[in-house]
Amino acid sequence: MLRIRSGNFAKPLLFFVALLFARLVAAHHSTAIYDSEHPVELAGKVVEWKFTNPHCIIVMDVVAADGSVQRWNVEGGNTSGLFRNGWTPQTLQPGDEIIVTVRPLRSGAFGGNYSNPRRGNGEPVIAQTAARGR
Amino acid sequence: MLSTRHYRKPLPLLSLLSTLATACSFSAAANAASDQTATYPDWSGQWERIGSLNWPPEGYDKAGPAPLTPEYKAIYEQNLALRADGILAGDPPATCLPPGMPRMMKMSFPMEIIITPGITYIYADWESQIRRVYTDGRDWPDYILPEFNGYSIGSWRDDNNDGSFDTLAIETRGIKGPRSIDSTGVVLHENNETVVFEEIHQVDANTLENRITTIDDAFTGPWTINQQYNHVTENIVWVEYVCAEGNRHIQLGNEWYFLNDELGILEPTREGQPALVPATP
Repeated sequence: MLRIRSGNFAKPLLFFVALLFARLVAAHHSTAIYDSEHPVELAGKVVEWKFTNPHCIIVMDVVAADGSVQRWNVEGGNTSGLFRNGWTPQTLQPGDEIIVTVRPLRSGAFGGNYSNPRRGNGEPVIAQTAARGR
Repeated sequence: MLSTRHYRKPLPLLSLLSTLATACSFSAAANAASDQTATYPDWSGQWERIGSLNWPPEGYDKAGPAPLTPEYKAIYEQNLALRADGILAGDPPATCLPPGMPRMMKMSFPMEIIITPGITYIYADWESQIRRVYTDGRDWPDYILPEFNGYSIGSWRDDNNDGSFDTLAIETRGIKGPRSIDSTGVVLHENNETVVFEEIHQVDANTLENRITTIDDAFTGPWTINQQYNHVTENIVWVEYVCAEGNRHIQLGNEWYFLNDELGILEPTREGQPALVPATP
């Protein structure tokens, strides 16, 4: 089910996964335009996966509580770090269900910085064993 | 008429002391460089940053803040206030400008060092930037065209007198701005008269250390950081980095926007800021 949830960092497992992913999403520039104090969990369907720098972009549709569809543009990671950990431009396909933790734009627009991406069933997008090189 | 603005700068007392110390080491370096029998170290492979993405590697909490002058401390605090409002102040690479020196040597992404007798090339994966460190014994040119990575003259030294070069000492001038020291909002002086001294040497089989001293008018005196890099020798991966390809951060004057190319608009980044939507015919 597509949904938006408010931040839920109390679950130890999620927190641990977030720590594992932290190295991948370390930004090369400030993330001050994002509201780190009020992260949201977004669950939706991938519209487009852009494997680009300076950050990779997930365009995703999220169904809001009122039934409307919100199209979010969220950036995170980079091709260097993600490729080393098994991601490619084909990793996400249109229609894939995905869950991400997002620090939203302070303006309230549907954009932000994502971390901790998971498949719709909560599993990691890429298993750790898929890492290549360094 | 050629300007000498980027050739020599008057230095305050602390800077002068540092310069004298470095001049002594450069003198030794010149001697070592003249020894044509010495061999160069093997720094091939890939080197990745150790420690924090921001200076210093052990973190500001342990090492203390940069030694900012009152004027630049006020600018730093203003940048923090602007950031709290959603404005990405004091971090030029957010718009895809290169980090420049000395931030380039933080190596957000890995680097490669290519040593030749006359030039040592330092390639940074971040922004696909390259530095040329001239080790051919040249003097400073009459005029240095400012560039983000500056103009670097280096000398090899044989500090342990084993007949092989082990340390590369570099002086860099003529650095273009705007630049920040890292992503925390600390910017370097707008006069861009920064001078950076580096001493790069291998501390063990897997670790390279760069002792970086930055002299800048935003600082009360020279600021030295020891940045280390871990050696990667197997399964090396290099990944092209073209920042313009997917950059979402757009600065127009003092306003910042988030590019939404799905909708063809510039999204606001702060509360109360209107989006920029192209006029339709």
